[in-house]
Amino acid sequence: MTSTSSSLKPIIEARDVDKHFGAFHALKKVNATFYEGQVTAIIGPSGSGKSTFLRTLNRLETHDTGSIKVDGIELNDDLKNLDAIRREVGMVFQSFNLFSHLSILRNVALAPMRVRKMSKEAAEAKALALLERVGLKNQAEKYPVQLSGGQQQRVAIARALAMDPKVLLFDEPTSALDPEMVNEVLAVMRELAHTGITMLVVTHEMGFAREVADRLIFFDHGTILEDSSPGEFFSNPKHDRAKAFLTQVRHGF
Amino acid sequence: MNWTKQHPGLAMFAAMIGLLLFLWGMAVPLSWAPDPIGQAAQQFAEGTRMTVLLTLISGTAGVVLGVLAGLGKLSSVPPLRWISEFYVWLIRGTPLLLQILFVWLAVPTLLPDSMQISDFACAAIALALNIGAYNAECVRAGILAVPHGQVEAARALGLSPFQTFVDITLPQSMRVALPALANNLASLVKDSSLAYAISVVELTMVGYRVQAESYQPIPVFVTIAVIYLILTTAFTSLTAALESQLDVGRKR
Repeated sequence: MTSTSSSLKPIIEARDVDKHFGAFHALKKVNATFYEGQVTAIIGPSGSGKSTFLRTLNRLETHDTGSIKVDGIELNDDLKNLDAIRREVGMVFQSFNLFSHLSILRNVALAPMRVRKMSKEAAEAKALALLERVGLKNQAEKYPVQLSGGQQQRVAIARALAMDPKVLLFDEPTSALDPEMVNEVLAVMRELAHTGITMLVVTHEMGFAREVADRLIFFDHGTILEDSSPGEFFSNPKHDRAKAFLTQVRHGF
Repeated sequence: MNWTKQHPGLAMFAAMIGLLLFLWGMAVPLSWAPDPIGQAAQQFAEGTRMTVLLTLISGTAGVVLGVLAGLGKLSSVPPLRWISEFYVWLIRGTPLLLQILFVWLAVPTLLPDSMQISDFACAAIALALNIGAYNAECVRAGILAVPHGQVEAARALGLSPFQTFVDITLPQSMRVALPALANNLASLVKDSSLAYAISVVELTMVGYRVQAESYQPIPVFVTIAVIYLILTTAFTSLTAALESQLDVGRKR
């Protein structure tokens, strides 16, 4: 992948990103550039900083020092920049976070109406088309609590897509799901990966990472320990920590 | 209660119609009652209308004040927090009767002569300030009960802090705050009786006058009590129905 990187347009550039939670050093001068259309899987043990890093990319967490540029815009305290970036970067959460007081249709249509100033009719038509794409058009009038976890996560993906983002961030999208629901969500993500949208996926699904990702990043203790292709990482991990991690997760295969 | 849960829209409609019919037509059945009630039916009806008007005006203003002060207490801007905390501290720490008397006696001396306000307005202001302080705590509890993930999801979609508050935080906080706000409203119906102290002719004042003229306190005060019970029943049915509507989609 790195050989073709030079011909691709960088969309996210993180430079020396550093972050503390109190005394805990969560991110230690992390450097990474992500390119348009690339699907990156970010893996690593719990507490390694992978989710924190993802959350700094749309400023759900602020970074202490360093710089993050998304589509050429610097991510800082400037609210105008932040709004511009959040319009281009969608996010899917571990716990779905669907708006519990709104119907499925309203969940998907809300942001285009409020942020893109689309008419209600246009936003709802778009929402219905997206719900059809994730196989949930017939659930549009229900409320989140009436859906299974897998269905809720598919709605959450449709909600993020409704803003036509350039980048989609996935924060452990299948970790809160019952095992039999993981595949329906992965199927939607797999289909998305082939559309050319930029995806950053923090995940514990090694099968998905190996099969779908173009690039694989292994986080440990707040740093990027390995940055390679999935094939290379799974067959030939360089660091002992990565080898140990792979042995641990392979018990599940 | 079950009926209001199954048909919240209908129940709200019925409670409102019932309240209006009661306010508009209550003088007729009351006039059939034996004296001293029958001859004072018109007075009772007017007093009841005054009580309801006072409750609705100060209740509405009180909700607005409660939302503002509740937000203020959660604000990251220290002066807003201080003002809100001082307001709640001051009002909760002093008697309502004193607050009503203060607005009635002290405020006119502070205002220019061209801006004098009626007794009714004094009572409404004092009651709104009072219930607003209690509402502030309910609103604050409601806002704190909204899961942080809901706000994160809204912000990640690009909604501004204000849009996030109006579309997500406020409606969800009301699910938690409404039962407590309804409780405050039921108290307000009865607390409005303290307006009699500044000669606002509301229900309790009417009762006081009628029994003073007739020397028959028992039938008069029983009538007054029944009217208050009907009013609080109507108000609580309204808020219970509103609660069921807000409950849509809530996990239990």
